[in-house]
Amino acid sequence: MASSEATTSQAEVLKVLRSPIVLADILRKRHVLKKELLKQTNLTPTRIAILGGSTTTEVKSMLELFLLAQGIEPTFYESGYNRYLEDVEFENPDLWKFKPNIVFIHTTWHNISKFPELLETELEVEQRVRSEMGRFEALWEKIHADLGALIIQNNFDFPRLRLLGNLDASESFGSVNFVLRLNAEFASYARDHSRFLINDILYLSAQVGQVAWFRNSYWYNFHMALSPTATVALTQNVAAIVKSVYGKSKKCLVLDLDNTLWGGVIGDDGVQDLILGKDHPVGEAFVDFQRYVKNLQRRGVILAVCSKNDAENAKEGFSHPDSILKLEDFSAFKANWNPKPENIREIAAELNIGLDSIVFVDDNPAERVLVEEQLPEVAVPNVGADVSCFAEVLEHERYFEVDKVVQDDLSRSAYYSSNAQRSSSQAKFSNYGEFLASLEMTAEIGSFLPVYLERITQLINKTNQFNLTTKRYTSGEVEAMAQDPAFITLYGRLADRFGDNGLVSVLLGQVLEETLQLDLWLMSCRVLKREMEFAMFDALVERCQARGVRKIVGVYIPSKKNSLVAGHYASLGFSPMGGPSEDRELWCYDVPPTYSPRTRHIRRTAEPLLVVPNADNESVPSEA
Amino acid sequence: MTNNEFLLQMDEILDLPAGTLRGHERLEELQNWDSTSLITFIALAETNNGVPVSPDQIVTCSTVADLLQLAQVGS
Repeated sequence: MASSEATTSQAEVLKVLRSPIVLADILRKRHVLKKELLKQTNLTPTRIAILGGSTTTEVKSMLELFLLAQGIEPTFYESGYNRYLEDVEFENPDLWKFKPNIVFIHTTWHNISKFPELLETELEVEQRVRSEMGRFEALWEKIHADLGALIIQNNFDFPRLRLLGNLDASESFGSVNFVLRLNAEFASYARDHSRFLINDILYLSAQVGQVAWFRNSYWYNFHMALSPTATVALTQNVAAIVKSVYGKSKKCLVLDLDNTLWGGVIGDDGVQDLILGKDHPVGEAFVDFQRYVKNLQRRGVILAVCSKNDAENAKEGFSHPDSILKLEDFSAFKANWNPKPENIREIAAELNIGLDSIVFVDDNPAERVLVEEQLPEVAVPNVGADVSCFAEVLEHERYFEVDKVVQDDLSRSAYYSSNAQRSSSQAKFSNYGEFLASLEMTAEIGSFLPVYLERITQLINKTNQFNLTTKRYTSGEVEAMAQDPAFITLYGRLADRFGDNGLVSVLLGQVLEETLQLDLWLMSCRVLKREMEFAMFDALVERCQARGVRKIVGVYIPSKKNSLVAGHYASLGFSPMGGPSEDRELWCYDVPPTYSPRTRHIRRTAEPLLVVPNADNESVPSEA
Repeated sequence: MTNNEFLLQMDEILDLPAGTLRGHERLEELQNWDSTSLITFIALAETNNGVPVSPDQIVTCSTVADLLQLAQVGS
């Protein structure tokens, strides 16, 4: 859970915030936890307004810890008790001055203005739903319009008491039924609005247990709508949502094999005697865990194997008739006798992802400790040795939370398969230029299009290595810049004969008189050394020429992860500007009246890339 | 939980170095004795000792030792 900058000693303290969470430990140690977490470097700042329908002091305190543990440093605005509507409706100047990036609306069933009366007709209940929705929609729309912030909104938990007992769920005037209808309306709104995310407290309350979720003593004494136990669950969940918004969710699951994906030792027992399949209680649990892993892979999590085994033996395990996972599901496969930390480092290098993007699952506690000690950036959940609990532990830690699922996420494995083909093809050429020519690359480069805004925002918030400024923007800010004529915006998609790499590069800057000030230039490392940066530059220069821009000013802000692009502007012919600055370099390029394109191996088009050899390989993945 | 363990726990809750509190300290003079630490005290009394404590009971306490008694750890 700790960010990549956490030291080993900090990681030890931070275990308090990892599963299995002990409430008393968090309550006791919250001060020391905060101090340790604030020692991390490279924290991502964010401003969060908590608009509460109940007391939110504890929510803020716990949320701060879980966000810091994700490498996010929040500054908070807190509404007064139950002032969540008024603060927005009457434009509280403190809130407006605060300019939140995120507004978290912490409402619960207590904030439903009126539940249906007994025997109300279906029409009357429907009117009540509309009225309740109208109240909330006005709130959300004003936040989006005036504050431009992303909204995280609780749906509703169930009321403490059921006046009609079980009928509460089936009668339209029943309170349980009413909550479910409102939640369906909230969900529908979330599907239609990109900067609106639901914090599913109905699920959380079921997970925690209704009795433990709400406690009379905390409500009547402090107007806390949640017990301390529930507050921990809630804030952990909200932190996971924020983490996904900032592109900090994990990308890759590295798995051991023996007694992790199947029971037994493949090298000793052979495929035939592995415990795997529905005819054995433990074997069935292994099948279920494999199915869970397979589903993670289907929604974009990269899989890798790290096992102490002979490679051939290890691979044979996947030929077991009950194995849900197949060899081709894995994007990296390390089965050898080397230390696991060494193998995991190699997996990260091979996949071009950071170690802090990896979750490692192994039934062997000694291996877990070794990886944890030597690679503190890698998340190592304490899964125990009982396979039936592995998936629950992973779920509980919310490693792979997503704020949306886009087509690019679904095709990640296909991308890696085609990338392997590219690598194999590269080996056949002695000359790199010949290899690039053989790829038959086509780039679609153009101004930001509404259809791509989600992917562009995702790329902006995920890319670390080929990123000149590492500036992060919300989808609202990206949308605003796309519509502002003062900005030049460019996206780039790249396809080749092996498939579509998807939208892989983003560039934007603001035109001030005859100068373009570049604000962002980033590219997925998957297409490094493919001349895509040249293709983007060619398109940029043409755009500048068309707008009468005579000078391009580029900024390089060094970070821990972007040394890869330290020489980027120099390589394109930019000249350094001014004296040295501690935190940034400025580079200048005079736009020539005539310009020779830099790229020689990419055909450029402004048209959508429709013809793709492997249509399923829609694209890429996690950015490094 | 022994008396000493309780005092160490209160040190943590109030963000004080371990071993600071002895029991005689007046709550009103403790800088970090606020609503958050009060809720934490109530939650820990219940979680660790199974003892329900209400804010009304806490209002009657004037020293750390009184809290200790309330949490029934001194008996």
